[in-house]
Amino acid sequence: MGKLDGKVACITGGTRSIGRAMAEAFIAEGGKVVVNGRDPAKGAECLTEMDAGDNADFYAGDVSKQDAVEGLIDFTIERYGQLDVCCLNSGGVKATAPVAQMTDEEWQLEVDWNLNHVFWGMRRSLQHMIPRESGRVIVTSSVEGKLGKPGIPGYAATKHAVNGLVKSAAREVGTLGITVNAILPGLIETDIVRATGPDSAVAMGLDGYDALIEMFSSESALKRPNRVEEVAAVAVFLASDAARNMTGNMFPVDGGTMPY
Amino acid sequence: MGALEGQVACITGGTRGIGRAAAEAFVREGAKVVINGRSPDKGAQAIAEMDAGDSVYFIGGDVKTRAGCESIVNGTVDHFGKIDILFSNAGGASNHAPVVDLTDDAMQDSLVWNFWHTFWTMQTALKHMIPQQSGRIITMSSVEGKMGKPGLSIYVSAKHAINGLTKSAAQEVGTLGITVNSVCPGAIETDIMAAEGPPAAESMGIDYQGLLDMFAEESAIKRLNETSDVAEVCVLLASDAGAGITGSMISIDGGTSPY
Repeated sequence: MGKLDGKVACITGGTRSIGRAMAEAFIAEGGKVVVNGRDPAKGAECLTEMDAGDNADFYAGDVSKQDAVEGLIDFTIERYGQLDVCCLNSGGVKATAPVAQMTDEEWQLEVDWNLNHVFWGMRRSLQHMIPRESGRVIVTSSVEGKLGKPGIPGYAATKHAVNGLVKSAAREVGTLGITVNAILPGLIETDIVRATGPDSAVAMGLDGYDALIEMFSSESALKRPNRVEEVAAVAVFLASDAARNMTGNMFPVDGGTMPY
Repeated sequence: MGALEGQVACITGGTRGIGRAAAEAFVREGAKVVINGRSPDKGAQAIAEMDAGDSVYFIGGDVKTRAGCESIVNGTVDHFGKIDILFSNAGGASNHAPVVDLTDDAMQDSLVWNFWHTFWTMQTALKHMIPQQSGRIITMSSVEGKMGKPGLSIYVSAKHAINGLTKSAAQEVGTLGITVNSVCPGAIETDIMAAEGPPAAESMGIDYQGLLDMFAEESAIKRLNETSDVAEVCVLLASDAGAGITGSMISIDGGTSPY
């Protein structure tokens, strides 16, 4: 008997890293999952590796675009008949820079990817969940949703913004059997971080990727990055019946970095 | 296979309420658990009700003394051979009043019951956990460890202090395989709440039902929390999966606290 038997989840950005760990953990607890990503080849690879048969599917789409986010949710409901858990997990930066050097293009991308994607996904899933009086929305925010660092202004701003969105939405649907929570991971060496970390480090005035990892680690009490499995375990918990009375939370998984 | 197989836990004040719910959840997940309380009769009753055989053991003792706290934690090690999880759960407050009218005794009693008990049990547990380079400490704060209420300053102050202790200790032992976190529940109708709630309400100028309604109204879910809500978070924090979470104040308050 799993903690998520019969539950249907969708996960933006679920083919690799945090989203993938969530997908595997959900399936292990009896859930069915639609994962999302831009690259159909990575999606096919993910499904093959997870080897979950009819309990997993893939929906291709760039979640910095409204059609893709709403399409994922609609596809999940069509594919499995319902949506119980909406994980708005995708996010990151492409070419971050200090405010003075930030381009409009990068700023817009980060707003669309990290904030608008969460809004679009939350709105669409709540429209499905409110009539059913049941559901879970889980947003992957960040330790930078409470802190802030030089060189990543868009990331910090959008992650702060999704925390506000989560808190407001939680209060809107709190009596309807729906919880809305954010998970705030510390740095994790995901594919996205490995891909964009070197450039981000430059924007942050650091001496390369290793210095970026070292700086985040040194800020924590554990003195190490976090791990995808640590975030996935919290996601399972928040999705489970045990967390029915927890909502509007900023759940830290940051090794003791944030003071509040 | 439970999430806490082979682990040994010590829970102060575990015969009833949140501590009892945590004890039952820990046993369900494969742990051996010491529960504590002042009354041996309540202890015997809890042991009988839990029906968990050798997996649960009662150690009497008053957490308002250092000797009591040390004997509960060290007694856990004596009985089960080690301590992996400390849940310093006991607490409460009596003789509430607005600050202007507050007695030294009321403030002192709340600080001893909540804060000093947390410090004494934490310190004793760390002496076992640091050499074994592993452990989980969960302290009992409250939504009032983040917020504040008129007339409840003795409770609010002690719970804030527990969060400060938790954050500092977490930084001290973060690289030693030990995590230190607090849980911050919203109001729950426990025995302690039933006993201490009415005078607390009076200190706030309302009646007991008004107090419960006020807590529910502040939340997003418009109802009180339940003991099992807290117990399941404790399981998560105590499990291997909780290794990456430390120094955190986990809200279990139905969306009351904004941070």
